[in-house]
Amino acid sequence: MSEVPGSGGAGVSETVALQAAEWFFLLQSDAATPADRSRWAQWRAQHAEHETAWQRAERVGQKFALLPAALAAPVLARPTAGRQRRQAVRAMAMLLVVAPATWLAWRHGPAQEWLADHRTATGERRQLTLPDGSHIQLDTASAVDVRFDGALRLLRLHAGVIHVQTAPDPQGTHRPFVVATAQGRLRALGTRFVVRQEGERSRVAVLQGAVEVRPDAAGGRLAVLRAGEQMVFTGQALGEVQPASRHVDDWTRGVFLARDMRLADFAAELGRYRPGVLRCDPAVADLRISGAFQLHDTGPVLDSLPQALPVAVLYRTRYWVTLAPPGR
Amino acid sequence: MSSAPAAFAQVHTLYVAHHGWLQSWLRRRLGHAGDAADLAQDTFVRILAAPASMREKEADWQLREPRAYLTVVAKRLLANLHRRRALEQSYLDALALMPEPLAPSPEQQAIILETLQDIDAMLDGLAPAVRAAFLLAQLEGLGYAEIATRLGLSERTVKRYMAQAMARCIVLMP
Repeated sequence: MSEVPGSGGAGVSETVALQAAEWFFLLQSDAATPADRSRWAQWRAQHAEHETAWQRAERVGQKFALLPAALAAPVLARPTAGRQRRQAVRAMAMLLVVAPATWLAWRHGPAQEWLADHRTATGERRQLTLPDGSHIQLDTASAVDVRFDGALRLLRLHAGVIHVQTAPDPQGTHRPFVVATAQGRLRALGTRFVVRQEGERSRVAVLQGAVEVRPDAAGGRLAVLRAGEQMVFTGQALGEVQPASRHVDDWTRGVFLARDMRLADFAAELGRYRPGVLRCDPAVADLRISGAFQLHDTGPVLDSLPQALPVAVLYRTRYWVTLAPPGR
Repeated sequence: MSSAPAAFAQVHTLYVAHHGWLQSWLRRRLGHAGDAADLAQDTFVRILAAPASMREKEADWQLREPRAYLTVVAKRLLANLHRRRALEQSYLDALALMPEPLAPSPEQQAIILETLQDIDAMLDGLAPAVRAAFLLAQLEGLGYAEIATRLGLSERTVKRYMAQAMARCIVLMP
């Protein structure tokens, strides 16, 4: 192999790199079965070199996630000097046909989470004070941009959950305070509220004051939520006004309260605070759980489950945990 | 390492005797004094940092044919520089075609350009079809079947190409 800068360090052999590459594409394809996934976990645990190779594969994937395809394709596919064989040019020409849609997808995709002004890692929570004295708190795996200008105080939520406590605008011009999600805009009317970005929809719950909800593409329709109310909305439509749980901001105090919650929902919620995978076997999915749980360290929470419920906690690795019927 | 001071002294001797010559050799090629000075410097840094197992170092070639040795290293850096400049230019061209409201912010642009340079360096030297299959998968998220159709290859081949490209990135990834 030719000498390339940066090829030093802990080595990964060509053979292991190929294995890691095959796992990478299998898992990326959604064709992977649970059996595949457990073989993959075993492979990683088998040898330090395997784990290193796997982590590098993930970093390669992350690098690509940073790139807008419409911009990257023509650049990376440009014909390189001395290698302009006809077949190459034909192959590359096809790469150039990247629909603008992929560019839009990038703007709303994972890259935005990486590039956001403030982001939290899985399991991390963070408090920030904004230039106007407002306080925001980011929940696990969240990303937000802060854009204040002469006319507007704008937060753009790319992923996760934020808790907002607005302050009166010190500029005296009463610039609106707005949180934008992928689906629409929330205008704070002197207030404390929580916004959650859930893929194709957004959820907002108001704790104090009021918030105006305006989806991006609902023909200008809007609703005003009062304290104690919440709503789930999409880009096209407002949802119903529902009573908000008093516990919607518990996470800001590092606590998670479950009341008669399905174990599957509990696992999904707790999983947001853990790196890796937390799976719930369908056989135990409908068990019910109640309690208050600490979020800063979810390990002890999992370990205590078998005392409360007929479940076993199976660790394939630290990052691969399954809640299953006991004695399996 | 006990041989480190000796190696350093060797590079020092090389530097004193040939740095001026190398710089003017590079200036003739680049037509730019500043670039030539930078690259001459980089050449010696690269030699100092290179592992002792490097082919050129092994055979004490640098002592017998110092100028040939220096130009081998400098040419490699020169090719690298050209590649980075060409990439930057085609990046700027692609950016100019973007509708203005969609253009990334300056900070995003810096990250994008750096990422492009990294990926381009890793993919350098791969066969065009291997590179194309990998890029279609990673940039456009296409599956084996669609890539196979677009490139006129069998799915098996596409699968092999993609793994080959990814493996190379894994080996080269710091």
